[in-house]
Amino acid sequence: MENEVPLSGQSGWRFTVRFLVHDRAALAGLVIIGLFLGWGLVEGVMQYIASYTHVASWGWKLLPSDPISLSLKNSLAAPTLSNLNNLFGANYEGQSVLSQLLYATPHDATASVLVVASAIAIGMMIGIPAGYIGGWTDEILMRITDAFLAFPYLVLAIAFSVLLGEGFTTVLLALVLIWWPTYARYFRAQAISLKNRNFVEASKLSGVGPLKIMLRHIFPNSIDPVIAQATLDFGSVILLYSTLAFLGIGLELNYPEWGSMSSLGVSYFPASWWLVLVPGATIMVIVVAFSLIGDRLQDLVAGRLTY
Amino acid sequence: MAGFVAFLIRRVANAFVTIVLMIFLVFILVHVVAPTPIDMAKLVSPNPRASMQDLENIARDHGFYEPIYIQFVHYVEQVLTGNLGTDLQQGVPEVDLIAQYLPISFEMVLAGSILAVLVGLYTGAVSASNRGGATDYAVKGLYLVTWAAPIFVVAVIVQLVFAFWLKLLPASGIANPLLATPTRVTGFPLLDGIIAGDWAYSWSVVQHMILPALTLGLASFGVVTRLTRATMVDALDKDYVKLAYMKGLPKRKVVYGTALRNAMIPIVTLIALIFGTAVGGAVVIEELFNYRGLGYFAVASVYNLNYVAILAITIVLGISVIVANFIADVLYGVIDPRVRLS
Amino acid sequence: MLLQVEDLHVTYDTVYGTLNALNGVNLSIEEGETVALVGESGSGKSTLGLSIVRLLPPNGRYSKGSIVLNGKNVVSLSGSEVRRMRGTDVFMVFQDPLNTLNPVKRVSTQVLEALAVRAKKENKAFDQREGISEAIEKFKDVRLPDPEVLIHRYPHQLSGGQIQRVVIAIGLLLKPKLFIADEPTSALDVTIQAQVLKLLNSLKSEYKMSVIFITHDISVAYVIADRFAVLYGGEVSEIGEVSKVVKSPLHPYTKALIESIPKRSRKEGELVAIPGSPPNMLSPPTGCKFHPRCPYVMDVCRTENPPYTEADERTLRCWLYERPPT
Ligand SMILES: Nc1ncnc2c1ncn2[C@@H]1O[C@H](COP(=O)(O)OP(=O)(O)OP(=O)(O)O)[C@@H](O)[C@H]1O
Ligand SMILES: [Mg+2]
Repeated sequence: MENEVPLSGQSGWRFTVRFLVHDRAALAGLVIIGLFLGWGLVEGVMQYIASYTHVASWGWKLLPSDPISLSLKNSLAAPTLSNLNNLFGANYEGQSVLSQLLYATPHDATASVLVVASAIAIGMMIGIPAGYIGGWTDEILMRITDAFLAFPYLVLAIAFSVLLGEGFTTVLLALVLIWWPTYARYFRAQAISLKNRNFVEASKLSGVGPLKIMLRHIFPNSIDPVIAQATLDFGSVILLYSTLAFLGIGLELNYPEWGSMSSLGVSYFPASWWLVLVPGATIMVIVVAFSLIGDRLQDLVAGRLTY
Repeated sequence: MAGFVAFLIRRVANAFVTIVLMIFLVFILVHVVAPTPIDMAKLVSPNPRASMQDLENIARDHGFYEPIYIQFVHYVEQVLTGNLGTDLQQGVPEVDLIAQYLPISFEMVLAGSILAVLVGLYTGAVSASNRGGATDYAVKGLYLVTWAAPIFVVAVIVQLVFAFWLKLLPASGIANPLLATPTRVTGFPLLDGIIAGDWAYSWSVVQHMILPALTLGLASFGVVTRLTRATMVDALDKDYVKLAYMKGLPKRKVVYGTALRNAMIPIVTLIALIFGTAVGGAVVIEELFNYRGLGYFAVASVYNLNYVAILAITIVLGISVIVANFIADVLYGVIDPRVRLS
Repeated sequence: MLLQVEDLHVTYDTVYGTLNALNGVNLSIEEGETVALVGESGSGKSTLGLSIVRLLPPNGRYSKGSIVLNGKNVVSLSGSEVRRMRGTDVFMVFQDPLNTLNPVKRVSTQVLEALAVRAKKENKAFDQREGISEAIEKFKDVRLPDPEVLIHRYPHQLSGGQIQRVVIAIGLLLKPKLFIADEPTSALDVTIQAQVLKLLNSLKSEYKMSVIFITHDISVAYVIADRFAVLYGGEVSEIGEVSKVVKSPLHPYTKALIESIPKRSRKEGELVAIPGSPPNMLSPPTGCKFHPRCPYVMDVCRTENPPYTEADERTLRCWLYERPPT
């Protein structure tokens, strides 16, 4: 009753954006995420140029300093406003925390986007047929999903990167394996609730094949709640990714990670508090930003529009 | 009643099939990594520099030359009869090691998860029933920050504040190492201490458990708050809540007796999942608090390339998640008559 | 006077801004009187009912006016006073029967909860067994089949119409002075509808209960009500004796409403839809809210909202009946 009249005829992208921008918290979230992904892209391109031209310094052209080489003079410099390089202090090797944070951004941005996108893709391919076809197909697909869901995520990720060898790609693979079953369940629930709707029945009667129905009708109509969940999951992926890095999993040579920066800082805590807290706070701000947007989108999807 | 029995049987069957499938996945994973019998032998060989001859013997002993499906049947058989292999470092059955480490973790994560669930339910309900008010925003801010803070940051801060500044509680270990460990009966340190009547030891265990459990609780209550708030907001909008008010029931009874009871239905699944995954998720906490439970053992096994241990832990934790989900399904039926009676 | 609503304004906060759901409603009800509240969807009928029982949704607000029920101003009561008022002074049956009973509790539990509150207010001891038999009696009154069995069921084992009648029975058990029924018969089939209506009619004389009957259906309202209040855009556009208003409607909107009833005698009587669409309450038309759809529209209607006027034994808001300014 409440959302009928004011909402009629209002949906789609423009409405969603207006709805988000209306909420100051969600707007702040959008700005932070925009900066995060934008910077991730820019710095990612720089690092690509560096590896393509074999001139490593391209990677830190835009940063206050080289995040990888030692500069012992600067060792454990405290945060200061007077020097941009040491805005967030420096670590034992004298590397600027700010430079390292910025340098590591592309990995976190890639991880969050890629893992969630792949998890959605796999989840869709398993969940929609399971829900739409039902019967034994559903039974089998869901048992497989449950089996994956049962894997202890941290142990699996660790085991994976040990068994398949260290590296960014391995960690991404492990994260995707952990994440897709949740989406399979969402898509399945959506497909079940959609498959008896009139518009689906109508296309069935007019002889449209099941594959086409799933692609044309079930998928587009089930994507909204999934997107709301995905927004939250971008943050969760970053959390788990940095937890793995904290444990030393998936690290690459000469590539600082937010999690591993924190982890190296633990021995200097609390005297050099910035080493743990600055990367930790960065992660936190970004995760909060994603959840502010995600919460708002979830309100939209659940029809909690008015308050 | 008959309906409920049939419902139970179905759930048990589902859980069993899922466990076998999970073991199958582990089996595949191992065989992808180690495609040949010799590779397999390397995985389970305690000596990393074993000769080819030794490896062939090991492979033969373990039946790695058998057809793959027979190997799988053997593997399932072994896992289900509690044989998870022999530890590469310590040379004892993996089951014994897990039986040693699991209870230690279990006590701590149980305390932490109960804390998370209680705080989550309470804050979620309060926030939903004061929607849009100051309390609501305060709760939202609190859970967002604790949830979004990486667990290692929470752990470090908790240690700093309670152990180093306030000097209230110990920051690492399971119990004061100067105290004699009571005889092992159950494997649960606290329980054993109580059984032995060793109060000094029991008290020390409790003290050591508080900070890791607090960290776990802090890091995971937000998920419960969030879901509780959302389902409570929906429940509070329902006409049956209005009817409860209409009958003249006090607000407390309406919020906790009527709305929360309904909101609990989806929350039960989440709670089961929290308990099911808590041991696996406590890896970082055990690492930082030097709390030598299963998570600590898992990380140590990874660093030592102790494959047998890693696989055993994966399977045990996987089974615990499946069992937790099974319990959630049953509770679902208990809470919701629509599930139980249809 | 049991209920006196005066110049009531209620707003909802929405993402689009403030929605004015009620704009100066006046309504008074005597003891034992039945008033039918009719109007299109979105005209504010449920909002008015909910404001009387103080159960507006969290984004709803009383922005102006008063509701005096049994001598107390509902708008400014404290929490515990509201609780005392609910059930004893007023009871409301909500619009959607599907969710009106708590799905996880047995019907008996939900009825007993109400009886326990009643007993406590009357300072009497409460006996469960007596409560159940009292409830079963009331279930028989509302024509529920097999009340002895049905009372021990869960809501999902009941039909929509049965749930609706259980809720009505709960209301009757509480013996409120004012009974608000929000489209109580919409989920029922025609024969049961008639039964429930008859029942409400007999109970209202038996208990001296006043009733506010919210409905879309003018013929139902005609059967049950003493007076007729027509709501349009959150305002009472016409209110008066049923016979007067239905036989000779004055307000152009009431006329259109009455014309839209299919005449039972004319088998193929076509339903005359009212042209135009209901006002958008976020940005309502200036002047009289009905003017864009009104066949008798005058210049003044577009700019100024008409005041309340007395004409032919009723109160209405329409420039047509306003004495020309002197
Ligand atoms: N919770 C709410 N938030 C925002 N707007 C609301 C809310 N509830 C109702 N409205 C709006 O207030 C106006 C009056 O609604 P109300 O439910 O009182 O109408 P009604 O006459 O009962 O309609 P119906 O016959 O469809 O039940 C409508 O424009 C509606 O969209
Ligand atoms: Mg209504």
